Amino acid sequence: MTATATPPVKKGGLFGPDEIKVLKDPLWDNNPIAFQILGICSSLAVTTRLDKALVMGIGVTLVTALSNVLISCIRNFIPNKIRIIVQLVVVSGVVIVFDQFLKAYMFDLSKQLSVFVGLIITNCIVMGRLEAYAMGNPPWRSFLDGIGNGLGYLWILAVVGTVREILGSGKLFGAQVIPASLYEAGYVNNGLMVLAPGAFVLLGIIVWVQRSISGYSEK
Amino acid sequence: MNTSSNGYVLGFAITVCVAISAMLAATATALGPAQAAAAEFDRQKNVMMAAGLLRAGEMKPQAELEKLYQNRIKEVVVDTGDGKVLDGKAPADADRMNKEGAAAAKDGAAKKAAETRYRVVAVAKGDDGKSTYVLPISGKGLWSTIYGYLALGEDAATVRGVTFYKHGETPGLGGECENPEWCAKWVGKSILDESTKLVGVIVKKGTVDPAIAEEKRHKVDGLSGATITCNGITKFVKSDLTAFETYLASVRK
Repeated sequence: MTATATPPVKKGGLFGPDEIKVLKDPLWDNNPIAFQILGICSSLAVTTRLDKALVMGIGVTLVTALSNVLISCIRNFIPNKIRIIVQLVVVSGVVIVFDQFLKAYMFDLSKQLSVFVGLIITNCIVMGRLEAYAMGNPPWRSFLDGIGNGLGYLWILAVVGTVREILGSGKLFGAQVIPASLYEAGYVNNGLMVLAPGAFVLLGIIVWVQRSISGYSEK
Repeated sequence: MNTSSNGYVLGFAITVCVAISAMLAATATALGPAQAAAAEFDRQKNVMMAAGLLRAGEMKPQAELEKLYQNRIKEVVVDTGDGKVLDGKAPADADRMNKEGAAAAKDGAAKKAAETRYRVVAVAKGDDGKSTYVLPISGKGLWSTIYGYLALGEDAATVRGVTFYKHGETPGLGGECENPEWCAKWVGKSILDESTKLVGVIVKKGTVDPAIAEEKRHKVDGLSGATITCNGITKFVKSDLTAFETYLASVRK
């Protein structure tokens, strides 16, 4: 089990130093994509446009946080034999609720995201946090951990989505940002950025930059 | 408590499943009306896209689009039995009349025919004042029923646009039928051959050879990896057009 080492519970209010650490760590030092290399599949799939990337990031954040809380609340009652399947049931339930909200209030996006919303269930980050954190920590900190990891995933998706949409289709949020005069001067959109390999290259660069700044090296 | 006994494990699993099911049922019930409204708006947008009043991917505020729909589109109920337009009937009446007809039908075949006897055609007025006839089309693909709109120009024979807005086909394969770039290939195809016999639009396996006049006139490129979806589309487009043919013939005059 790759359980994150958790310091003993100290009383520090809702936002004591421990809570801040739980929230901040996954944004940089322990980032789920750049450091743990989780959730790569979905970050390739939904980053062709920034709005898709953001909705997916928000979805994963909410799902991770909510299912972390739910699992954390019942963690002492979950029989060890069936803990993975119980986690899966809870995650699936939360994801379907999110999908229903999208269908009601953001129909177009829900059509575009199609299967990827359902595939949040299989996102390693969600299950990873449940297993590594929520199973051993109280609800409030599990919630912060879920929010932190979701945001850590979100900002990387946003960076990749911004670069891919601008270079790949010359747009941002679906609106043209590269002026027509540039196209007349011979500029062309980079087709690689629309496809998965473009995302791989960008993710590689982000991981590289992140690790050289945070000073991590494979042992 | 012994949390690893079989009884406890079973009880826990059942409790979790029931609790989650209740949560999902509550959400679905609470959001139902909003989802139906969103789906209806999406349907209207697809009518306008098929008719060429709205480009795919174009973003406009919902109020503006609803106004456009009200001003430019008139929905009429057509009796596909004799091709006549029923005056003073609203789209909701078509559903009701179909249900009544089906209930009154004697055998299975008559029932099936009665279920789809009255259909709603959206007549759109273009910027040039010309009419476009937007026909609802639907039928089986590989996994699901595909719903779409086929818009015919003023001659009621040339395709002005097509959209497929609701389906459960495999994303990336059959699901590509909703791709606007593929739908754009339908524009300009004719549903009638030179002798004005109904042919429909045929989704070909492979790419269309523009050198062959017959292919250029009636066929569109197939979607690779989606043969059954494509065959399904070809089939239901033909059968829906056949049902509308008497109506379309009356419009052509």
